[in-house]
Amino acid sequence: MNRLWMAVSAMALVLLGVHLTACKQSSDPAASEDIPIGVYLSLSGANADFGVTTKNGIDLAVDEINAAGGIGGKKIRVIAKDTRSKPEEAQTVAKQLATQDKVVAAIGSVESGQSIKAAPVFQEAGIPMVSPSSTNPDVTKQGDRIFRVCYLDDFQGQACADFAFKDMKATKAGLLYAADDDYSKGLAGFFRDHFRKLGGEIVAEATFQGDVSEFKDQVSAVAAKAPAVVFVPVYYSKIGLIAREFRKQGFKGPLLGGDGWESEQLVQLAGETLEGCYFGYHYDPEDSDSKVQGYIKGYREKFKKEPNSLSALGYDAVYAIKQAIELGGGASRDQITEGLRKIKGFKGVTGTFDIDENRNARKPITMLKIGGTDLKKVKVIQPGDIK
Amino acid sequence: MARNFLVMLGLLAGCYGFNFVLAEFIEVVYVDYINLCGLAIILAVGLNVINGLAGQFSLGHAGFMSVGAFAGAYASIMLTYGVIESGPLSFASMGSFLLCLALSGLSAAAVGALVGAPTLRLKGDYLAIATLGFAEITRIVLTAQDAIGGPTGLKRIPKMPLLPGAEKWDGGTSTFWIYAFVCLVILLSLNLQRSTFGRALICVRENELAAETMGVRAARMKVMAFVYGAFFAGIAGCLYAHYQHSVRPDDFTTVRSIEVVVMLVLGGLGSLTGAVVGAVIVTLMPQFLRPLEEFLNLSGLSMVVYAALLLLMMLFRPQGIFGQRELSLKLLRRLVPGAGRESGP
Repeated sequence: MNRLWMAVSAMALVLLGVHLTACKQSSDPAASEDIPIGVYLSLSGANADFGVTTKNGIDLAVDEINAAGGIGGKKIRVIAKDTRSKPEEAQTVAKQLATQDKVVAAIGSVESGQSIKAAPVFQEAGIPMVSPSSTNPDVTKQGDRIFRVCYLDDFQGQACADFAFKDMKATKAGLLYAADDDYSKGLAGFFRDHFRKLGGEIVAEATFQGDVSEFKDQVSAVAAKAPAVVFVPVYYSKIGLIAREFRKQGFKGPLLGGDGWESEQLVQLAGETLEGCYFGYHYDPEDSDSKVQGYIKGYREKFKKEPNSLSALGYDAVYAIKQAIELGGGASRDQITEGLRKIKGFKGVTGTFDIDENRNARKPITMLKIGGTDLKKVKVIQPGDIK
Repeated sequence: MARNFLVMLGLLAGCYGFNFVLAEFIEVVYVDYINLCGLAIILAVGLNVINGLAGQFSLGHAGFMSVGAFAGAYASIMLTYGVIESGPLSFASMGSFLLCLALSGLSAAAVGALVGAPTLRLKGDYLAIATLGFAEITRIVLTAQDAIGGPTGLKRIPKMPLLPGAEKWDGGTSTFWIYAFVCLVILLSLNLQRSTFGRALICVRENELAAETMGVRAARMKVMAFVYGAFFAGIAGCLYAHYQHSVRPDDFTTVRSIEVVVMLVLGGLGSLTGAVVGAVIVTLMPQFLRPLEEFLNLSGLSMVVYAALLLLMMLFRPQGIFGQRELSLKLLRRLVPGAGRESGP
């Protein structure tokens, strides 16, 4: 009994010691010579894949900038915190970044739920926050220091509707989405409204909830109405199963989706069931632009892996902050916030964009067609094209 | 009664002082940990009455918490801004905040009574499954309500109201409000344990049949324990919502219910002190392991250590840190060698 107590207290003391020394390190006065940027992402847990790929993109950009001499002679120092895939943890680490690490800007998170939890903390502390890939409209409404470098769900849904109606010449569309997921439900709603506005008709709608793998009923309900196109705004883990079910039931029309479709397996799936389907994406991987190709090459060399849109958006978030420091005239919290508001015609991997008055990026969406074993760009839709 | 009232007043003054000290001298990060501990203590001590004292294994605490969180947050947003809309945060007024807290507690308690009456006829595993089901149903129903934000939930929940003299405190007055309820729930539970009601609950836990034979109305006692636990879960939910400024249905998954049960089991099921200590350990451990994780560059290490610690605990001390004992002055004297003799008569 006594021995157990001693063991427990010894362990507690060791941990406390580690903790306090770690705190001391971060408040090292010599470190104020650089630009501390906080990063909070899901580096472990269910969504670790999102966080780690984004972090890779961020690291690549920071290494490039620091290797080229930093910004105005100051190097960027990244302080990365793991949210453990929990939204409430995002708020706790945001407080750590704001008060302990004294960051001048923050990047995060991928999941909109985490960004919404962390945003009030950064807003209150006067720290500009740039979300690389939270597409939910509510994120930047949390305060006037909250920015993002990706497009929004409403634009994405509208662009897909526009593409379906004008380019695919579809007048009848079907919808299949997850009713308990804000991303999926949001996109479906924006698609529905815009498609109707253009004069199209939504002939069938089916939903699913939770982590299911059986879509027989939903697919037959949609396929029975013979729509010209089916909009399926789901994540990659579901699209393979859904597409297979559509083909099994004899539906041959194209499926259409958003950026959630992206994954390394997408092309493998393509050969079987997604042939001739389309999805909206952040950039064209085949783009001959030197910025895009340089990024892809750098990423492959550094991480021995294929880059994706999350890493590209993380990469662009760092460069957006760099430009904000140059535009704002310094690396203080207020100067970066001012700089971010002034960004116009920023040339990133994910397209050229402005930051609008609502602190969102106004940027194009690239429609890709899945054919054979590769993805082909079919159209680039600019924000101005949607009316 | 009058004595309890005075004690509570004293404790409130203590909370005020505590908040002042934290705001003035302690780094915000640690204040955050302390506040999170407070929220966990309210949950754990409330659940201890259901799981520990009455011996009814409930896995639905997150459900009650979500009911309280959404009821309180919705009312608070409406009373402060009048409309659900994003924008800068402001402080809730004292009156509206107290009203929201009462609403949270009462709505969660009402749901507790509603759920408890039929499900408490079940025993052991069956009850656990039924309460688990209730919590999941609540979460799914909340997710489907577009009026309260659907899957993203409610945002822009006002800050906890300011106190006189606290206008310039760094980090606000959350600590005061959270610890006021920590004190309340501990004081009430302490008295409850010693009351006829508490004894009756223990009776039901030890042997329901014998308790009924002795004239204890077991079904009623169990529902009352449920209502008590649900009430404080609702309060904790409301405080949590105002502390985080946003709530979403997914904040209240089964994982959270289980986490509260883990706090109890770790501290010692049935011990109030155990519940408090368990809540503090479970809340702090992942945070204090974070620097180690970052130092070793091993994300996810805390989950491994956490699991290992629970395993060791179950192997070497299955009754929890405190068992069913309480930390009292008597126990303290026994732990300090030699002190027992000095304090003799």
